[in-house]
Amino acid sequence: MSSLLALLLVPVTGSIVAAIIQRYRLAERLVSFSTFVVTLLFLIDIRVGDAFTWSLGFLGKNIEMGLQITPLSIFMLYMTIAFGVLLTFFDLTERSKMKSFLLLLTLAASNWIFMATDFLSFFFAWELMGWASILAIFGGRRTAESRHGALYYAMMSIGGSYSMLIGIFLLSNLTGSFSIQQNVSYLVSIMTVHPWWVLGIVSMFFVAFMVKSGIFPFHTWVPYTYGESPDGFVPYLSSVMSKYGIYGFLIFLPLTLSLRNVPGVLGLPWPNYTLVWFGSITAVVGSVLAFMQDDVKKLFAYSSFSNLGFILAAIALFTPIGLTAGLFHAFNHLLFNGAIFITVVAVISKVGITRMSEMGGLWQKMPLTFLTFFVGIASAAGIPPFAGFGSKWMIFQAMISHGLIFATVLLFFASIASFLYLMRAFHAIFLGQLSHKYDNVKEISAIGKITEVFLIGALIFFGIFPGFILDPINSIVGSFGLKPLPTSGYEYINGFFSSVNMVSIFIVVIVAFIFGFLLFAVSAKHKKVPQEDNYTAGQIPKDWNLTPEMYQFSYDFYEPMDKEIAPFLKIKIDGFFKGFGDSVEYLGSSIKEIFTGNVQIYTYLAIGGLVIFVIAGWIVW
Amino acid sequence: MVIVEFLIKLSQGFGIGALALATGLLFGGIARKIMARIQRRYGPPFTQNFMDLFKLLSKGSVSHGWAFDLGLVAGFVPMLAALMFLPIGPFTLFPSDSSLIMIVYLMMMAYLGMAMGVLASGNPNSAIGMSRALMLMAGYEVPFAAVIFSIYFFSKTGYLTQIVAMQSGGFMNWNIVKMPLGFLAVEIVLQGMLGEKPFDQAIAPAEIASGPMVELGGKYLGFGMIQHSVALFLETGIIVDLFLGGAPNFWIFIAKQFVLYFVVVLVDAILPRLRVHEATSFFWKLPLFLGILQAVIVIIQGGVLNV
Amino acid sequence: MSEWTEIVDYFRGRSMWMLHYCTGCGAIELPPTMTSRWDMERFGITPMATPRQADILLITGYLAIKTLKRVIYTYEQMQPPKWVLGFGSCTINGGIYWDSYNVIERLDKYIPVDIYIAGCMPRPEAILDSFVKLKEMVQNGEAKGYEKYVKNYEWYKANQDKVLKRTKPVLERIEKVTKIG
Repeated sequence: MSSLLALLLVPVTGSIVAAIIQRYRLAERLVSFSTFVVTLLFLIDIRVGDAFTWSLGFLGKNIEMGLQITPLSIFMLYMTIAFGVLLTFFDLTERSKMKSFLLLLTLAASNWIFMATDFLSFFFAWELMGWASILAIFGGRRTAESRHGALYYAMMSIGGSYSMLIGIFLLSNLTGSFSIQQNVSYLVSIMTVHPWWVLGIVSMFFVAFMVKSGIFPFHTWVPYTYGESPDGFVPYLSSVMSKYGIYGFLIFLPLTLSLRNVPGVLGLPWPNYTLVWFGSITAVVGSVLAFMQDDVKKLFAYSSFSNLGFILAAIALFTPIGLTAGLFHAFNHLLFNGAIFITVVAVISKVGITRMSEMGGLWQKMPLTFLTFFVGIASAAGIPPFAGFGSKWMIFQAMISHGLIFATVLLFFASIASFLYLMRAFHAIFLGQLSHKYDNVKEISAIGKITEVFLIGALIFFGIFPGFILDPINSIVGSFGLKPLPTSGYEYINGFFSSVNMVSIFIVVIVAFIFGFLLFAVSAKHKKVPQEDNYTAGQIPKDWNLTPEMYQFSYDFYEPMDKEIAPFLKIKIDGFFKGFGDSVEYLGSSIKEIFTGNVQIYTYLAIGGLVIFVIAGWIVW
Repeated sequence: MVIVEFLIKLSQGFGIGALALATGLLFGGIARKIMARIQRRYGPPFTQNFMDLFKLLSKGSVSHGWAFDLGLVAGFVPMLAALMFLPIGPFTLFPSDSSLIMIVYLMMMAYLGMAMGVLASGNPNSAIGMSRALMLMAGYEVPFAAVIFSIYFFSKTGYLTQIVAMQSGGFMNWNIVKMPLGFLAVEIVLQGMLGEKPFDQAIAPAEIASGPMVELGGKYLGFGMIQHSVALFLETGIIVDLFLGGAPNFWIFIAKQFVLYFVVVLVDAILPRLRVHEATSFFWKLPLFLGILQAVIVIIQGGVLNV
Repeated sequence: MSEWTEIVDYFRGRSMWMLHYCTGCGAIELPPTMTSRWDMERFGITPMATPRQADILLITGYLAIKTLKRVIYTYEQMQPPKWVLGFGSCTINGGIYWDSYNVIERLDKYIPVDIYIAGCMPRPEAILDSFVKLKEMVQNGEAKGYEKYVKNYEWYKANQDKVLKRTKPVLERIEKVTKIG
């Protein structure tokens, strides 16, 4: 019980300390790291079923509030905090402008989100998390752009929050309670009588969750914000914070269980079917936009929400295998996205730019980072025996078992497209010709190396022994009233159509590699040549003043493809929001004097508006 | 006991690898002979590919560093690993582990390794070739996915061994009869997977100096050849297992594989090369249409699976 | 060990991949050699795209000093074992360019030539004959031009420098012509 409170209080205390000593960078980072470690230690003590309640008297009402641990929340807590430990450890030696106290505040908020039993504290924690992360984005590499990114994120979040707030008050008006459980069971009870009513309320919430996860059509903020936020904060944003939306979806998805007997599409209720489509479209949009990017952070921002699309499509099925696959992919995404973003951050910190076409050949300078990135993208592409294979494989099986042909083919396409953009980033950053600009680039510090080795180890370990993650996931699936998939040992993944023994795959691959290297060793000798000694169709590079930059093909890597997908790119979701914003601006032109263009004033206004809204809602109710 | 079992599996695996490689090389040699006869030439002996491979492994080469070496070894090794899970005729090394999607993804690892190796050479021609190969892949994997979907949904299993078992008992039980459109789609896809004309953009020799292979020589090119030969065996083998009902013994298995490959070679002989984006969008038109039509038919026939 | 060398040499002779460096008019004789009429593929000889992959460097025709530089660079990019075929009288004695100021006269002063194909022009039969001859030489372990090049590198280098030092890169002020960065 006290540990539950500790999960909130420790990060808040750490945050205050970090805010006080933020002038001393190393101390601040140490505080941040140790706070995460202490939180993790408290978390180890916590078991499913722990609960803590208190009540809040307000305007003559007594509102029950509480914290509770469900299998899902403990899973999410472990993911968040363990990743935070890794990230803050990595960040000890990095010099990005991330504010540690904001990260810790985000941690407190996220812990609260996962434990909240009532919508009021859920909403409060959601807003705390949102605002802390918005402020954290301000410290980006380019000040003006990062302000723009933060503002975009803030606007979208506020939209989502208003929507969620309306939903919360509508619900509590109906039930007279803020408890999540009571409200959801109330919705279940009126599901068959007023399905549209339920759908309306639930979509109010879903807008907020979709914004947070960057699900189509609310994905537009993701690339701007990820692209401009401080380098140290991006891994946390994309690996951890995008999962909050998934947690939110899972609060309401059990509703659809009562629709199972109502005719839908291919045995799926309409809401599930619609959400599967949202997920699939997100996956495709993210992948396709990603392979036309030249900015590495933006590319992986697209990749990030594309993977969220996979997760949403899987959990939206809300079958045992779908849910297992989705949560499993959420975990794998945390790992491989963490590995990718941490290596990307390491590279950016060494070369100082984010444009991929100006990098290249860095494998010679940063071998361990290169290997980590390689394992990361192999996992992201779903290649066995790394983590990431199992979940993708299960997602496809879950989709196929429902006969969702178009959505499945779209997801497959997204998966192949992800292979394309991963290879493009791999090539542009690490392979190809090394520019003389980077002759002095060094491998990252020892702490960074430890983090990278740990990530490689984790990606391989959880690839070979998926059971260690599938076990907790099975208990989550059970807690939603579904029948968990059969388990048969830590090395097995049991899908719907077939099961796979990862250890045997791993052994086969290792034996094959031994054979491969033996063949390599007994074949004729090779001669090591420098990168200048290259096929140039007979031209002598020096005579033509050929520089490595000129001999690197990485700009517009998939140019021929642009022709094929150009028609689809004309659809601009961005433009819709912009147009919406323009008309709002037109309406509000009479009070335009207030908007000086200063982001802080926008922020104050938004907060003020929120407060007025909350109070007004309270009084009316 | 475990060690003995391991050694037995190891030797069997080694045998499978050698047989597949030999078959792939032989197919390549026969294809060269067929091509020569179509062009009214005498052509090289059908054992030419074996001699080429031997020569390549014994010839000196240049390396651009450890990423180059590692990448090219990783370019053919996962192909051999994927081979171990393929039911070849009546024989499967790991009967409980022949999941189709797993094999497909294991093959992707080979492409990833190959890409890493050739791109580490730092030649723009190899980068252009790789980008073309990947774009082509974005083309042909989509109809292939639709076909995999149909097979899974129709057979209600993902094991290749069980898919083969379901087709036992005569020609009329083969999936080629039950799913002709899917077979047609996958035969077109095979053309792209093997990179034969009109889909040989990636290794256009006169245009981008043989693309990915531009800096490969000696054993590295030999590894590329091993990869191609094993991939040829693997890809045709998967289609034999999926559509042609497997085989009672090894010889019939490779005979069926050869029939598939023969069609590919004939098409290769008469068609010119498409442009890259034309090739990609071609796969998104006819083969994808066939694949999806097949899947829709299967869904209508089979109804909803009981989840 | 010698048996192993013999086996290796046997297969090397049966599989020779060719890079053709075509200058002047000799290139026209190659298409019939490769295609249906004379079909060199039956000897296991296939045209290749880059020097890394090739075993034979076939040089057809005269070599201007500018071209010679590229030929040497290409030859050095090839990996052992490698052989050079000089095609036509231009590579033997300069041919009709024997008195030109910027054309070399004898190719084997600059890189080791294993076989010369005489004639102006040599017919495809002559090219095929040289391939068969080269195959025999390789299988008997006689074609060792590449080892000669390594052993006598100073001599070759001096000869190369004597002509190459006379010329400078075509574009002197490269910065003005090519955009950098």
